[in-house]
Amino acid sequence: MKKGRAALSLFFLSCAAALLIGGCNNPKFIKKAEFHGTHLIVLTFAGPVDPEWGENSASFSVNEKPDPDILLEVRGVTLSPDRTRLTIELADPINQDQPHQVVARDILSQGKDLGTQSVTVARPYLGYLFSIFLGALLIQNFVFSKYLGLCVFFGTSQKKTTAVGMGITFTFVIVFASLMSWFFYQFILKPYRLDYLQIIVFIGLVSLTVQAVDTILRKINPALFKAFGVYLVLVIANCIVIAVPLILADNEYGVFESLMLALGAGLGFLLALFLMSSVRERLDLADVPVSYRGLPIAFIVAGLFALSFMGFSGMSIF
Amino acid sequence: MDPLVIKLALGGLALLAAIGLFFGIGLALAAHKFAVEVNPKVEAVKEVLAGAQ
Repeated sequence: MKKGRAALSLFFLSCAAALLIGGCNNPKFIKKAEFHGTHLIVLTFAGPVDPEWGENSASFSVNEKPDPDILLEVRGVTLSPDRTRLTIELADPINQDQPHQVVARDILSQGKDLGTQSVTVARPYLGYLFSIFLGALLIQNFVFSKYLGLCVFFGTSQKKTTAVGMGITFTFVIVFASLMSWFFYQFILKPYRLDYLQIIVFIGLVSLTVQAVDTILRKINPALFKAFGVYLVLVIANCIVIAVPLILADNEYGVFESLMLALGAGLGFLLALFLMSSVRERLDLADVPVSYRGLPIAFIVAGLFALSFMGFSGMSIF
Repeated sequence: MDPLVIKLALGGLALLAAIGLFFGIGLALAAHKFAVEVNPKVEAVKEVLAGAQ
C-alpha cells in the first residue's frame, strides 16, 4: 500500500515536471504547414492574422531546405475569410521530395507584432516510407518492371513450395544485407571517400550475409536448411540483392527508407515467385506445343505478368 | 601521380583488408560455434565410392 502511494506521488510529480518543461517552450504561432497540389503551400495559424500583412507576398520567403540562399519565386498569397489559413502560391512546381522552409517575417496578428517565424514543410514521413515500400513491391517490382533477378526467378519457380521458401530466404538476406550496406556506406565508405569501391564492398557484404545465414541455419534448423537446399547459395548470384544497396547509396536513403526499400524488394520478389510458380504448376498439366514446353512458355508467361504489372506504372501514392 | 590519389588508394586497400579480416575472423568463429558434427564414416564411404560428379 505504501509502495503504491509512493509510486503514485512520483507519477504526479513527473507529470507536473513534464507540464512545466512543456510550458517553457516558445509557442509556435504557425500551427501547420503542408503542400497542396503542385504549386501551393498552406499555412494554418493559431489565431487570425491581419490582412495587410497576410496578403503581402513580400512577408514570405520560401526555399528548399538544403539551399537556403536560393529563394523560390512567390506568385501570390491569399488569406481565407476567417484569416487563419493562408495559401502561398509558387511560380514553379514544388519538388515535394525535398522539405521546404517557409519564413514569415514580422507576423502581425490583431495589431501585435509576433516576430519572425519559420516553419518546415515536408510530406508526411510515414506516408513517404509506405510509398517507398509499395513502390518497390508493386509499382516498380524488381522482377516485372526492372527485369532483375531473372535467373533465380526462372530457376526456382517450378514448384510453389520451393518458390515460397526461396522468397522468404531472399527477403531475409536482402534486409540484412541492405541494412549492413547502408551502415557501411554511410559511416565507413563515405567519410573516407571510398565510395568508388561500393560495388566490391556490397558484393562482399551480401556473400557474408548468405554465408552467415548458411552456417547458422545449418545448425539451428536443419530441416529448413534442407528445404532451401541450393537456393540459399543462389541468392548471392541474384541481381536484386546487389541492386538494392546501390540504389540506397545513390539516393542517400536513411535507415528506415533503406529498410522499407529492402523489405519491398524482398516481398516483391516473393510475390513474383509465388505468382509465377502458381502458373507454372498449371502449365505442367496444360497442352503446350512441344517447342514451347519448359522455359520458353515460362518466358512468355513472365512477359504477360510484366504487361499486367505495367498497369501500376506511373501511379503515385501520397 | 597526385599524392592525394595514392593516399586514397592505399587507404582503400588498408580499409578493405581490415574489413575482410574482421568479417573473416567473425565467420570463422561463427563456423566454429555452429559447427555440425558430421559422421566421419560418411566421408570415408564417399571417398571409396566412384563419383565423377
